[in-house]
Amino acid sequence: MYQYDAIDQQLVEERVAQFRDQTRRYLNEELSEQEFLPLRLQNGLYVQRYAPMLRIAIPYGMLSSTQLRKLADISRRYDRAYGHFSTRQNLQLNWPKLEDVPDILAELADVQMHAVQTSGNCIRNTTTDQYAGVISDEVVDPRPYCELIRQWSTFHPEFAFLPRKFKIAVNATESADRAATQVHDIGLHIKKNEAGEIGFKVIVGGGLGRTPMVGVTISEFVPREDLLTYLDAIIRVYNQQGRRDNKYKARIKILVKALGIEEFRRRVDAEWAHLRGSESTVPMSEFERLASFFTEPAYQSLVNQPEVLVSKLADSAGFARWYERNTFEHKQAGYRIVTLTLKKAGQAPGDATAEQMEKAANLADQFSFGELRVSHEQNLVLADVRQDQLIELWEAAKDAGFATPTLGLLTDMICCPGGDFCALANAKSIPIAAQIQDTFSDLDYLYDLGNIDLNISGCMNACGHHHVGNIGILGVDKKGEEFYQVSIGGASGHDASIGKILGPSFAQEEISGVIQKLMQVYVDNRSAEERFIDTFRRVGIAAFKEAAYAKTN
Amino acid sequence: MPKLIKDGAIIDNQYEWQQDPEAVISANSIVSAQKWLAEKDTLGDVAGIWLEAGDGTDILNDVDLNQFDVIGIHFPAFADGRGFSYARLLRERFNYQGEVRALGDFIPDQLGYLLRVGFNGFQFAEEVDLEKALLLHKPFSVAYQGDVADPRPIFLRR
Repeated sequence: MYQYDAIDQQLVEERVAQFRDQTRRYLNEELSEQEFLPLRLQNGLYVQRYAPMLRIAIPYGMLSSTQLRKLADISRRYDRAYGHFSTRQNLQLNWPKLEDVPDILAELADVQMHAVQTSGNCIRNTTTDQYAGVISDEVVDPRPYCELIRQWSTFHPEFAFLPRKFKIAVNATESADRAATQVHDIGLHIKKNEAGEIGFKVIVGGGLGRTPMVGVTISEFVPREDLLTYLDAIIRVYNQQGRRDNKYKARIKILVKALGIEEFRRRVDAEWAHLRGSESTVPMSEFERLASFFTEPAYQSLVNQPEVLVSKLADSAGFARWYERNTFEHKQAGYRIVTLTLKKAGQAPGDATAEQMEKAANLADQFSFGELRVSHEQNLVLADVRQDQLIELWEAAKDAGFATPTLGLLTDMICCPGGDFCALANAKSIPIAAQIQDTFSDLDYLYDLGNIDLNISGCMNACGHHHVGNIGILGVDKKGEEFYQVSIGGASGHDASIGKILGPSFAQEEISGVIQKLMQVYVDNRSAEERFIDTFRRVGIAAFKEAAYAKTN
Repeated sequence: MPKLIKDGAIIDNQYEWQQDPEAVISANSIVSAQKWLAEKDTLGDVAGIWLEAGDGTDILNDVDLNQFDVIGIHFPAFADGRGFSYARLLRERFNYQGEVRALGDFIPDQLGYLLRVGFNGFQFAEEVDLEKALLLHKPFSVAYQGDVADPRPIFLRR
């Protein structure tokens, strides 16, 4: 993974010193609440329902075991010994003291981590596929490009005070889009053109929140050396012309929609004409330098499906289930990608205790070259596990609560922290997740239902990405009471779509019953092997709607 | 008149930022770009012009900017970042060599960014302690991106 040199290190240390001084001045009342707000947000610090919330960046989801141990240690000493992995490859601490945050940041800097631009109206942490670099069908490893974007966006002097937050995600595989790039402000798809040159299809104006939109293609191919000047051009247009009069209309998606993609493209191209070919054009030497940090680990020469694995798969239904669901094909023979799920019943989705973080770090050291990934679905990934060590890993993962064999299934839901923690939330989301996990505890039934994305948000800011869940649940407030709106038909991959609202919202206790009814409609209507989303797209919303609101007597 | 920070020092302000469209204009005035464009033939000499957020820089495309000693950029709110792009465009696209002065509601903690996009004059709100603000002049000793002072990104400097 990327290793800081003296310059990278100096920057994060200077940022710590800057924030320490800003915090001191705020506490001394030299900085007003209003002035401190964007300064702390650009360092990931929110003021939340019960305490500040600190969002720590995990750039493009890569973590060393040392870094994860440090996160565990920080959560134990400065917080309540747990953290929450978010959908955008960050770790959130829910209970730090404001006064401690500079010290926390200093400790993070010791392990090459930071909280820079994890919030605020600036360019946020860039995200990518959690399987980057280890799957066989990617065009190239996207991580060096993500690191290039990380550096370009960090303290970008022109774009620290944009109309709204700005999120970029990168994908490099045709077969899947695990980074939900089409619902980002900019989605980048790495491609090769006919000449074999690497570049980017650029999608702009996607996003969730109050006005969910799937992005539109602004360029089919931007050569990789031009990436930064092209990004500069897009964001310069947005910075000057994005709406600033209404925060709900300030995202780039609104500007793109208002102008139309042709006019927006024309303005970007006019800007780019001045920027293209300037000093920010990335030389080959830089791509090579960045790629050198993401070389393959010391794989051994192994065969696929070793005897020990084959016999265990035959003997142990539990192991076979886990293997089937929670592990993924690796480009290197004899290896497998393993997801450690953070979706155990009774635990909020994406939450990990300090002890679990330490266990995951140990597993990474023991089984996966000391590295981990964080996924958009709020799980941890060990990317390089020997197939002949999967049984041992499975036993250890079970022990730590990481082996719930439900990856991609209904209960592997994305869930925001909701009203239990978040000051913005209209309703709780964690109890909804728990209710569904309780109701759908039968693994055979879950397997029969197959891949379903269920996403839960506690408010229309959509941190739980409910719009792009095959089933989405949105907490709403009705005269001080919490209700839940259900949508279906959303998707976040290459076939991204925004879900349709089923109808009037439901009371909290009704939700799992409603989901059961929706599942029954699916089971009754599906053709063999048809996914829920495909059945929905084929049969339409009416049957689901009718079932969900049918009186049961 | 209140003092300002220019080129890293606290100096006396010699120009008057003229926000009132009815005010009498003198050779020391910084007059709004819109007003100057509309009335330049009758206004007489001015020290410079100032851009309102939302004006954009395209309105200056046909103007010889180096006739001005100063171009102001107004921040209606410190979180309104349009002026960051305007300053950069004045320096890099218009090749303007004079003073680019930040006006209005910006804060000392933004100085690091403002300097990098080409501002060199800072007319803070009156309550700002300029001595303290000066301490925040250069929060970072290194930068990843190129900027107005040095257009080379880090990959040309490592």
